[in-house]
Amino acid sequence: MPPIYIMAVITLAASTAMWGGLIYALSGRAKRYLWLLLPGLPLSAFVNLLIKKPLIVWVGETANIVPNLGLATPLWFIILLWLVPPITEEAIKLTPLLLPWARQRLYSRAGALWTGTALGVGFGLGEAMFLAYGIAQSAQYTAYPWYAFTGYLGERLIVCFCHGIMTAVVVTGLQQGKWRALTGYLAAMGLHALINVGAVLAQLDVISPTVASVSLMASLVILVIIFERLRRRAAHEQNSQEETAEVVYFRRNPGEDAK
Amino acid sequence: MLVFKPRRSNGWLWLIATGLLTIGIGVVSSLPLMTLPADKITTVIVLSTTLLMLILGAPFMVLAAWFPTMRYELDAHTLTLRYGPVLTYHIPLNEIQTIRKRNLSVSLWSSLRFPGIALFTVPYTDVGNVKMCATATATGILLIETAKDKYGLTPADEEGFIAALQARIGS
Repeated sequence: MPPIYIMAVITLAASTAMWGGLIYALSGRAKRYLWLLLPGLPLSAFVNLLIKKPLIVWVGETANIVPNLGLATPLWFIILLWLVPPITEEAIKLTPLLLPWARQRLYSRAGALWTGTALGVGFGLGEAMFLAYGIAQSAQYTAYPWYAFTGYLGERLIVCFCHGIMTAVVVTGLQQGKWRALTGYLAAMGLHALINVGAVLAQLDVISPTVASVSLMASLVILVIIFERLRRRAAHEQNSQEETAEVVYFRRNPGEDAK
Repeated sequence: MLVFKPRRSNGWLWLIATGLLTIGIGVVSSLPLMTLPADKITTVIVLSTTLLMLILGAPFMVLAAWFPTMRYELDAHTLTLRYGPVLTYHIPLNEIQTIRKRNLSVSLWSSLRFPGIALFTVPYTDVGNVKMCATATATGILLIETAKDKYGLTPADEEGFIAALQARIGS
């Protein structure tokens, strides 16, 4: 068995526990969202094999360009390679919403937030599997022990959550309707492109993989800020709809000064 | 002075687990050095990471050891929340504006909170920053507000605690 598969199992277990646990805990212990992790699992393989790769190969062949990232690659083709994943992946992650049971919770901001997060994390889990499969096909990596792939573990843990946040942005926009659906999609696409900047520059040897990791962490901070804003708005909407259960034991009278 | 203990919880287990996980990640990340060739810079970076993880993991173990020391002390003028020698919050009784019990909504920002324990300043989505000394993160928190700060606690004998506190505030 290729050693990367051992690390892939650890990565999937850790990501599912961490991000599934987070969705469960922060959504008010709602188990229904955890089921939404499942439809996203095959989508990464689907979009990579059936959409991204054929599209990039076709454009490359049409323009007589080898579809690899390198400093000799024309700038427009580098931009294409950079933008194809955000455009296609942010769209494909929404396809489970074609199923009525996946749309059940879209009547509120909170429902859209957690539906999107779960769909995105599911996509991220599938992407981790697909990448592990790709690495396993490369003979140079079979010589390494499984614990040499800690970089894969750390990166995939973070990227899984990033996918969740980006899809939450799109689905929250969809739930708001009209032009917000489009701005949500464009915002998620922009965030996805931002996350990929480091990886693209590292492949071009413009920056080192370490700097690319720092860039990923910086993107994560931005995403978490956005996620917290979405959560605050969802909580505000929920609080205004249902009264928060609260027991007041003591309240100092408004005019009464502290002694 | 009256002393109240917090509600029972398994928060100490989370502290130990987090400490062990952090230390474990540090140790595992250095394992490739034993079998794979590495240049000097890589060795220094990996060993520094391992050392950093050991330094980060150790405080969780120490905090777990102090778990039984969490308590709420009430005297004639002040309520004091304590956790080992690292956390002491003094709340003058005449500055208390409200005392209420509610569930809180946690945020993703980093803070010392796990299921069954919340310490120091914890940001919440609904009520903002709360100085916590509690054996729960979000459920059934007794929230004490002064003009400057909010404090979160979880006394085991809640009725007795509230009665004693109200009697002192009233007097």
